[in-house]
Amino acid sequence: MGIITILWEKWREFVRDFSRITLAAMVAPLMYLIVFGWGIRTTMNGQPYLYFLIPGVVSLTTMNGSFNAIAQNLNVQRLYEKAFDQVIISPTPLWQFITGQILAGALRGLYAGFIILFLVFPVKTGLVFNALSFFILFLNGAVFSSIGIVVSFLARNHADVPRFSNYFIMPMAYLCNTFFATDNIPHGAREFIAALPLSQTSRMIRSISFGEPCSFGGILVLLAYLTVFTAVGLYFVYQKKNL
Amino acid sequence: MIELKDLTKTFESFTAVDSLNLRIESGEFFGLLGPNGAGKTTTIGMLSTLLLPTRGEILINGERLTRKRKDMKRKVSVITQEYSMRQDMDMDEIMEYQGRLYFIPVKQIRSRTEELFHFAGLTEHRYKTIRKLSGGMKRKLMVCRALLTEPEILLLDEPTAGMDAISRRQMWNLLRQLNEQGLTILLTTHYIEEAQALCHRVALMNSGRLNDLDTPKNLIDKLGAYAVDEHRTDGIHSRYFSDREQAIAHLSALRGQCTLRDTTLEDVFVEQAGKRLS
Repeated sequence: MGIITILWEKWREFVRDFSRITLAAMVAPLMYLIVFGWGIRTTMNGQPYLYFLIPGVVSLTTMNGSFNAIAQNLNVQRLYEKAFDQVIISPTPLWQFITGQILAGALRGLYAGFIILFLVFPVKTGLVFNALSFFILFLNGAVFSSIGIVVSFLARNHADVPRFSNYFIMPMAYLCNTFFATDNIPHGAREFIAALPLSQTSRMIRSISFGEPCSFGGILVLLAYLTVFTAVGLYFVYQKKNL
Repeated sequence: MIELKDLTKTFESFTAVDSLNLRIESGEFFGLLGPNGAGKTTTIGMLSTLLLPTRGEILINGERLTRKRKDMKRKVSVITQEYSMRQDMDMDEIMEYQGRLYFIPVKQIRSRTEELFHFAGLTEHRYKTIRKLSGGMKRKLMVCRALLTEPEILLLDEPTAGMDAISRRQMWNLLRQLNEQGLTILLTTHYIEEAQALCHRVALMNSGRLNDLDTPKNLIDKLGAYAVDEHRTDGIHSRYFSDREQAIAHLSALRGQCTLRDTTLEDVFVEQAGKRLS
């Protein structure tokens, strides 16, 4: 099955670059936690701000981990190494290639999320991360992997992926219910931000971690994003005349 | 059998391949010959489904080739002009990845890799990452990778570009052997001697169009097998003769520096297109 082939390829990449991948996944979230959690000591809703922060940072870390694992890598394979040509030429069905990339990206995002949870484990926060949390984080990673695929196909040069990341991924990392609650954002912008995939993930992860009831509508929203971006990725590989 | 019917590829306003019609028989060694920009690589790109035609179609054994036809893609291997490999993998990983993409069992991939590496003299370098390999080694690895899948059709886009003379001859011998074993080979090249030495038939392309198509011998015979070059101040002027005695008689009548030689495919192309191949 072609999906296993892609997962194998990504696994080899993970083993080869284990330390680099692990460090890259750790540095930025760790800085957020140190600066906003332990450095600027404040509270939110009567609880240490760190408790609010951790679910948001875990969510944005899975987003970054998944997007970066797919977008830049696939872009390099397509435009620079031309290794993607061999996939197109091969009999591996291209939907299996796309599915393999999404699964591998989601797993890389989950790995990055696990690292953060491991790092904050000594801090007794009482936050709950259960199987449902990990499923939502996995789904969040899958959404951003599919976005990574589309971005890598739209890119015309190597600078396009970091550019997209600067314009879309980074603002989402800060605005989507990660570092602060979006309740006070002006009407219109608030609804727009709330509809973004990372906002849905952060909201659900935070509710679960606080032991509060969680609305599962967010899962449907994430599935809708995943469907749309996967369909666009499939359109590119099957229909685009010049890949 | 490969058939190209009215195959056309445009990039915005530029037509790279223009209404190309070709038929390549099973087991044939076929050459696409033309200068840079003739449309050879674009044609290979469409045959390998990397590019989709703007118009026309490609048939393999009567069935239309598309990106979805994994049964047809299984039969084809491609050696692209560029080194299309992940730079961070080692040779073994490149082979295993290729084998897996073609659904070959891992045990079989490993045993065949051993054979191919031994044959190509790559065994001692197998754990080197691609970025540490020389151009020649990368080219050999691409050949091994293409043969790993035991294809029925091999598409080669300028396979000896950048190779030294010895490696080029080794490659020619290998391709000849593979063709003798029944492999259909489509080769693009701008090396005249390569097409002349290897190909059963040659298509001459220029500006995306097919200029002529025949065996190298027939193409040369149509022009005249003997060429007399007269070196004038404004350049070399050639005349072609089918009869050697006539060529010698013409040569004797000329004053100044002149030479008698065999006509090549390049002469055929120059006469047809008015420009040199390389």
